[in-house]
Amino acid sequence: MKDRMIIFTCVTTIIGFMVAVQFQTTKEPEVRDTRNIMELRQALTMEKERQKELNEEIEKQMELLYQLQQTEDVEEVMADTIDELREKAGITEVNGQGVVVEISPMFDEYYSGGSIRSVPPYLLRMLINELNINGAKEIAVGHQRIVSTTAIREANGVTLVNSSRMTQFPLEVRVLTDDPEGLHHAIMSSQSKEFFSYENLSVQSEPVDQVTLPPYERTLRVRYMEQLKEES
Amino acid sequence: MWLPIVGLLIGILLGLSTEFRVPDEYSNYLSIAVLAALDTLFGGIRAHLDKAFDEKVFLTGFFANILLAACLAFLGVHLGVDLYLAAVFAFGVRLFNNIALIRRTVIDRWIQKRKEKHS
Repeated sequence: MKDRMIIFTCVTTIIGFMVAVQFQTTKEPEVRDTRNIMELRQALTMEKERQKELNEEIEKQMELLYQLQQTEDVEEVMADTIDELREKAGITEVNGQGVVVEISPMFDEYYSGGSIRSVPPYLLRMLINELNINGAKEIAVGHQRIVSTTAIREANGVTLVNSSRMTQFPLEVRVLTDDPEGLHHAIMSSQSKEFFSYENLSVQSEPVDQVTLPPYERTLRVRYMEQLKEES
Repeated sequence: MWLPIVGLLIGILLGLSTEFRVPDEYSNYLSIAVLAALDTLFGGIRAHLDKAFDEKVFLTGFFANILLAACLAFLGVHLGVDLYLAAVFAFGVRLFNNIALIRRTVIDRWIQKRKEKHS
């Protein structure tokens, strides 16, 4: 009888050990914050900037509200606001100082390969990202305005921007910016220029005083936004 | 009577305190082994209550079941069939059977004891 108890005890000990190990194995490890002080500061700065932006936005809206409340003629203010929003959405023609970037094929005597039909979409995306980083306000590729829903993709070896083909060379990218000179230098010394050269494309940019950007021509599809109903 | 429970607690404490971990891909095997061990344990308890307990059968059954279950799971992984489910099913059914039998035996004994007391 004593033997039996000892055997049972051994077996239950083993079972207990296995259960504990299994429990520890399946237990989710704690997710710890492993950011160092630099990363934390960076995150903090980012959040601060975000807060600033949001505060500015609120201020602007409050001002608009105040204007609407003050003026007798609400229509005018609303029309102004609508115009402003239309401009922001990119469905109006805009002009001002900016930079014209020209992308053209570049062949050297050792060139072997097929004809270059259009700028590859990944390069175009890269260029647009770099322009945006360097302070571009509005961008148009060829005759297509870049808006928030613009798609740059490839179909049958041809690049499509806003679903229209970008096959003409040189491809003109017109950019509106406050600092044309700075943007020009940034683009001419950027890494994307090098990537363009790998695809036998050369990039030339030129700051200009007056550049006109066409409006976005297609209808904007709003799919995920909903009208907010004021509850009062 | 209390010795096995103390053993269980010691085992759990030992496992928790050693921080021993099994790699994720082997946790399946361990879970099936735990199930097999539990099955054998309850089988042993039942046999004990039925007075049919045999140490050799119990001990060999304990280790053989664990190994067999792990082997089955291993084979299942390599064949691309979830064979460990078969083991889970078999052990689960047996576990319930054994527990039900243990319960019945315990209740029978209790009733008998009460009858003896009253009479």
